[in-house]
Amino acid sequence: MYYGIGGSAGYGVGRAVVISDELPVYEKIKPSDAAAEAERFQSAVDVFTEKTMQMADSMRLSAGQKNAEILEGHVVMISDPFIQDEIKEKIMQGMCAEQAVDEVCAQFIEMFNMTEDELTMQRATDIRDIRTRLLRILTGTQEKDIREVPAGTVIVAKDLTPSMTAGIVKENVAGIITETGGVTSHSAILARALEIPGVFSVEGIISKVKDGMEIALDGSEGTVILEPDEAQAQEYRKKRDEFLEARAGLEKYRGKETRTADGISKVLYGNIGKPDDAAKVIENDGEGIGLFRTEFLFMNSKELPTEEEQFEAYKKTAELMKDREVIIRTLDIGGDKDIPYLGLEKEDNPFLGYRAIRFCLNREDIYKTQLRAILRASAFGKVSIMVPLVTCVKEVRDVKALVEKIKAELDIEGVSYDKNIKVGIMVETPAASEIADLLAKEADFFSIGTNDLTQYTMAVDRGNSKVAYLYSVFNPAVLRSLKRIIGAAKQENIMVGMCGEAAADQLLTPVLISFGLEEFSVSAGSVLATRAAICKWSKADADAVTQKVMECATQEEVIEILKANKR
Amino acid sequence: MVSKSVVIKNEQGLHMRPAGLLAKELKSFDSDINLIFNGKKINAKSVMNIIAGCMKCGSEIVIECEGDDEQAALDKAVELIESGLGE
Repeated sequence: MYYGIGGSAGYGVGRAVVISDELPVYEKIKPSDAAAEAERFQSAVDVFTEKTMQMADSMRLSAGQKNAEILEGHVVMISDPFIQDEIKEKIMQGMCAEQAVDEVCAQFIEMFNMTEDELTMQRATDIRDIRTRLLRILTGTQEKDIREVPAGTVIVAKDLTPSMTAGIVKENVAGIITETGGVTSHSAILARALEIPGVFSVEGIISKVKDGMEIALDGSEGTVILEPDEAQAQEYRKKRDEFLEARAGLEKYRGKETRTADGISKVLYGNIGKPDDAAKVIENDGEGIGLFRTEFLFMNSKELPTEEEQFEAYKKTAELMKDREVIIRTLDIGGDKDIPYLGLEKEDNPFLGYRAIRFCLNREDIYKTQLRAILRASAFGKVSIMVPLVTCVKEVRDVKALVEKIKAELDIEGVSYDKNIKVGIMVETPAASEIADLLAKEADFFSIGTNDLTQYTMAVDRGNSKVAYLYSVFNPAVLRSLKRIIGAAKQENIMVGMCGEAAADQLLTPVLISFGLEEFSVSAGSVLATRAAICKWSKADADAVTQKVMECATQEEVIEILKANKR
Repeated sequence: MVSKSVVIKNEQGLHMRPAGLLAKELKSFDSDINLIFNGKKINAKSVMNIIAGCMKCGSEIVIECEGDDEQAALDKAVELIESGLGE
């Protein structure tokens, strides 16, 4: 078994076609007529341009505008007068066209790689692609044509360059395996766009694989099996069929309302970590954002982000989501994350320490900047504020007082904002769970953070493999906590949601419906599956299962019952 | 010579698409057009040089134009960069 990065979900079994990206061999001879040699280079560029534009057209049809633009970019790059002049100059000095192209491209590849900037380094891959193809045209070398691979092919390559993938016939490709590149590489992006399973960054795979060899791959886990035995191949085919069926089955939930089988409306949101992710939530039919983590603004920076920077990020998200709700969680950091400019001390127990709302209320300067940015952004969409790690009522009152103070300032400044902006809390500590009835009188909404709630309730560090078995949302202690929190919210008629991983756990769905959870916030990729799970249960059926579940004494019994009743 | 300082607005900096547009639009001017960034002088008519320049969102750069049509070239370059180059 070989391991790589699972960059495009799905399973594939097929026969290998190895695509080499070796440069064509050429002889370094001094041409007799330099001007004629420059002409030869120019006609190679013309052939290149024509072929590439054709490739871009077929790419547009198969994999969309974005992938086509990469190829059009190749034409823009080779048309650059600067690169052309350098190549022609070398030819005039006595080099053959092949060597001139090779050397000038190599210079740019090195120059781009030296920047160590991811986006610029990706362009180095483009120049490598341009160089290989120009040399093939100049030397008259045939390319192995990816368009003509037979059905059931697993493509194995160092990295798939844009030109290689241009004519790919997705029906014929069972999988893609590369030696380099991660989830953001061109190969991976294209594999996902074409829905072809892909495993990337598998070290040394090319030297292990021969054309025609049978290969099984798992693009979710990132594993590759060479020459699987019949039982393994069978298993992968079965998984592939199930995966495809599930994917097709979920599509029918797109555009549907999220309702239980007996018609109770639920709210289905997505979780995001940066503004651009909102597009993924929309793409997957999410109805809003239930958790916008704002840490990215603080982690990817050398200094505190300004109010303006934060405002732009929140505004962008609000505008992307239009009239749909965006719940922004305020800064949730502490001693376990290294943000040098905050000057936080290392703590013995960072998870019990100076973090999240405790830090923010102590550093009002930082918190006020963030709240001002959120309030200003609330004029551009439907924005809500969510406070993390609440353990007592005073914290909620303090935040609300601060929000009111900022509103008054904005009024004086004449800056617009949503006057009815909601201030809700994350319920993720045993303390908040115990006083959920009191907190429900103060907060505009609850969102249960099951990851932290489970960790704190069970007093378990899930990173510690010796005790990780205790970390389970199915433990009766956690289930009782969930029931109390949701009950308290309903008592006060406030919205109650969940934004931890458990919200997307289909085993737990009937229990959450029975308790009366109203909003489910899940990762973008889980939206349709969660909607499908909710639609399968009526309140009465969910109640019947949940009644049995709540009588269980152990998490094992709980899981057994839920598995037996899974739909 | 004329020059003016501007700030890059494109979210991902001057990457392929905006760099291509900038170089293409400036090619028609006779003047030399350079972008000064991080002590480097970048030929604004060359998409390859612009990409290698790694100018990110928020980077402050100085545009320098020298030649017969230098003012027109500068105005166009400023307008292009400040408009976000079609993004």
